[in-house]
Amino acid sequence: MENKKPLSPHIQIYRWHISSLVSISHRITGIINIIAITLICLWVSLLILGESNYNGINQLLSSLVGKFIILGLTWSFSFQALSEIRHLIMDFGYGFEIKTSKLTGLIVIFGSIILTIIFYLIGKNFT
Amino acid sequence: MVQISLPQNSQVKKGKYFKDKTGSKNLRKINIYRWDPSTGENPRIDTYEVDMDNCPSKVLDILNKIKNEIDPTLSYRRSCAHGVCGSCAMNMGGKNGLACTKPHSEINGDIDIYPLPHLKVKKDLIGDLDGLYKQYQSIEPWLKSNSKSETNEIFQSKEDRKKLDGAYECIMCACCSTSCPSYWWNGDKYLGPAVLLQAYRWIVDSRDEERQARLKKVADELKLYRCHTILNCTSACPKGLNPAKAIAEIKKMLATANI
Repeated sequence: MENKKPLSPHIQIYRWHISSLVSISHRITGIINIIAITLICLWVSLLILGESNYNGINQLLSSLVGKFIILGLTWSFSFQALSEIRHLIMDFGYGFEIKTSKLTGLIVIFGSIILTIIFYLIGKNFT
Repeated sequence: MVQISLPQNSQVKKGKYFKDKTGSKNLRKINIYRWDPSTGENPRIDTYEVDMDNCPSKVLDILNKIKNEIDPTLSYRRSCAHGVCGSCAMNMGGKNGLACTKPHSEINGDIDIYPLPHLKVKKDLIGDLDGLYKQYQSIEPWLKSNSKSETNEIFQSKEDRKKLDGAYECIMCACCSTSCPSYWWNGDKYLGPAVLLQAYRWIVDSRDEERQARLKKVADELKLYRCHTILNCTSACPKGLNPAKAIAEIKKMLATANI
């Protein structure tokens, strides 16, 4: 056992690129979205059980923490949507050049933030 | 399986410090991954102060200088020094590349040099590539032709020849495969960008008659579809090739052809 070969360092030392950052974020937001959609479905089904349930959750979401969660989810959905479009374009065989992938990656990152702000402003008018 | 942390025997410790003895004013710190199979100790990072006034421009020149002038025990692979053989592939400044073509001026601050990521280390900067070569063999990288005559020339049009551009130049240095997180986690089953680029090279070769069989062979959840277009491969390739695009083309062929 003494001479067992070690494993060379990998994720600890490898520099992040925009494309790898977008890729891992795509996965993380995907998981968050699945959980979020499930919870939203539960929330909606609580409506059937009466007004008091609805009000309770509504209050929770109106709090500062609740608002932060909603904003976070809005970003997560925006990111996922844009990143998915990027992946679709790649599935057609386009956008694999280093420069293009960097550019589309940046569009996804900044686009998701801009979309979040737009959704926030639209949503504000409804309350 | 995804395992973010390194196993116990692979944890990197702090190593020796080699102070400069030349008295030069233009010094650079080089941190190099060391592992000696004869001691049974954990890997360590040795730091060398190198006189940059008397050092040529590439990272390989630094390594040669260290081996020749400071520490002859340092082990690394190198041969042609012209970016053709692919021997000196390693991780420099957090990115894979060939030490012989990578200018050290492109790396800011101290230069960290590691072996290619997520490989079993044989010694110092030498990683074990046996698994990758076995996978390379598995795609049968040679011309398969059922033509009766083996002595006649097989013609290829200029357009068909052009399809091989960007694929035949690969020197199998493994920079791309070892930069790929999917290959880190599933390297035993996923073929990785280097091998898939070669698979593509034989699939699109107009002279090859086993195209269908080759496509069928790579059409596998683990062998091919573990590529999630992270694109580390393309940004690592020292020859400027695009393995990610080749993989996408294979996926496209499989989606559109009926096999």
